[in-house]
Amino acid sequence: MRILIVEDERSLATELIQFLENEHFKCDWGANKMEASELLAINPYDFVLLDIGLPDGNGLSLIEEARKNASEAYFIVITAKGELEDKLKGFELGADDYLAKPFSLLELNSRLQAIIRRKFGHKSSEIKFGNFTLDTVKRLLLYQNEFIDLTKKEYDILHYLVLNKNRVLDRLQLTEHIWGDFYEDDFDSNYIDVHIKNIRKKMAKFDETKWIKTLRGIGYKFIAGDTST
Amino acid sequence: MILLPKTKLKNQLALINAFSKAIIFIVAIFVISWAVRVISINETDDQLIQKLDQVYELIETNGIDVFIDNETNNQGFGSYNILKEEYISIETSIDTLLYEYIADQKREIDSDIYDYRVISATISVDEQVYLIEIGKSIYTIISFEQKLKSFAFYLLIFLLLISIFIDLSITQILLRPFGKIIDKLKNTQHPKQFDYSIIQTRTSDFMYLQESIALLMHQIEEAFESEREFIGNVSHELLTPISIIRIKLDNFSENTQLSDDDLRKLYEAKTTLSRLTKMVRSLLLLSRIENKEYLKNENIVLSLLLSEILTEFQDRADLKQQQITFKNTSKKDSFKGNSELLRILLSNLISNAIKYTPEKGSVSLSLENEKGNIVLNISDDGPGIDQKERPYIFDRFKKFGKQKESFGLGLALVKQIADYHSIKIDVSSSQKIGTHFHLVFSIKAD
Repeated sequence: MRILIVEDERSLATELIQFLENEHFKCDWGANKMEASELLAINPYDFVLLDIGLPDGNGLSLIEEARKNASEAYFIVITAKGELEDKLKGFELGADDYLAKPFSLLELNSRLQAIIRRKFGHKSSEIKFGNFTLDTVKRLLLYQNEFIDLTKKEYDILHYLVLNKNRVLDRLQLTEHIWGDFYEDDFDSNYIDVHIKNIRKKMAKFDETKWIKTLRGIGYKFIAGDTST
Repeated sequence: MILLPKTKLKNQLALINAFSKAIIFIVAIFVISWAVRVISINETDDQLIQKLDQVYELIETNGIDVFIDNETNNQGFGSYNILKEEYISIETSIDTLLYEYIADQKREIDSDIYDYRVISATISVDEQVYLIEIGKSIYTIISFEQKLKSFAFYLLIFLLLISIFIDLSITQILLRPFGKIIDKLKNTQHPKQFDYSIIQTRTSDFMYLQESIALLMHQIEEAFESEREFIGNVSHELLTPISIIRIKLDNFSENTQLSDDDLRKLYEAKTTLSRLTKMVRSLLLLSRIENKEYLKNENIVLSLLLSEILTEFQDRADLKQQQITFKNTSKKDSFKGNSELLRILLSNLISNAIKYTPEKGSVSLSLENEKGNIVLNISDDGPGIDQKERPYIFDRFKKFGKQKESFGLGLALVKQIADYHSIKIDVSSSQKIGTHFHLVFSIKAD
């Protein structure tokens, strides 16, 4: 997967590249519209990570430009302004997803994975661990053929954990994932703990394995040596 | 200062004009009739004096005996003309004083009383004093004066009506450009909507007014633009470094060599950063609403939006074993506004209700129509808001006892969004029954 990062902040771009390369993406970096436009014209990209607040103008025009050049890249628009109009305009121009600054790298990764799953068909829609199956299209958890009743939020948390297996997901990241840009005063992570408790309870009926490990005061980690997709 | 009801400038001008004209007319009536009276009386007096002189001459040439026959016991002489407009009388007087004066007097002639202007004079002939009186009726003078007054009165009313009518039409024409300028300002909800075209007028004051307004509007628009730009820039400038820190922290926690203790410190840094982020975002949102940067042209079905939000929050309520009830008895619940903002408003209120309601408590919502408006009530079982704090709950950065982690922008945001949409929001609260938010969404007739 080849990805173009259009971002004027060098240190931000560097961190993005470091993370994405660890995730086995091949990364290019354009620091402004002109550079990005040149790179887009030369190379075929699978993804473009587009920060629209660029020193030489609004980056949204790059989407139009890419579409004119029959580029099949998927655009994830990043904006610091968190502007609704930018978001709408971005979707209108054919952006595939949208992230408001600041965003979590794991959130970015899960968005990329979702697009890959949805559009490239490279991976099956099912993730298996032990005798459990997570159906990401129907959004269901199954044990062998038995359906496990998870609430929407429980499913989202489990899916996010499984997607980022063997990685610590702190309660903040989990909260942000299930609640998004909610303008709420205080950050209440207790809900996550209760959700996790419920997920564990529901899974423990079928399987003794401790899939979700607690890191006290921090968050959770999904332990899976043998997950497969 | 007398308090008068507020009326339009043209009406005020016409009224003031009519009033001042009325005063002038009234004064004129009195002055003219007074003058007429004075002049006529002077004229009459002159005539009386002339007549008296003629009588003196007659007495001198013919002797007093022509008028008074001394032998027939001092009878007086009297004469008046048929219409009793004038009379003359000569009689002997017991007075020995010689005098001559003119005065208004009443005289009885043939048992009728008449007003006369009378010149009275005494004359001494052959050691006998005689009193001569010559009178001229002033009835004509008085009646002329009265006729003049009543004529002037009707003329006054007539002229006043005409003048009010003329004043009204002239001021209407003169003030038409002014009315247009006012209308233009009334129709301007936002400096961006202002119509800079000049309304034609021959009145230089109005031209000056228009130029001044246009200049001011330009300045407001510019200030507005620069503020918008500033907010945009600030958000970019603040959120970009926050982003960098956030991503660096994320990348750093990818390091599997870190001890749990290090991870905990990282996590704490991240949650602090998250608070900062939310604060910046909330402040930006507040400023943007203040700047009216959000369109309010979406038709939002409130019951649908509420159901959506409640579904989102169902898990939270379930975790606290709370009962959420939503009773919708409204027939019309479509409201014009910004769906994103209304979602924030309702989410904040519902989230607060769930947060402050204890476990196994209940949160109830009701949506209904009242007097053509949509009314939403959100009540919780929580501890209530302290009476002393209630007036300040919508203020920014106000923190109350139990909200340690909150930074006090949630309800400020609620209030700002409500004001922006002209939604009336009231809160009542008591420590026994919890907090109750009452929202009135007014549906405009247009």
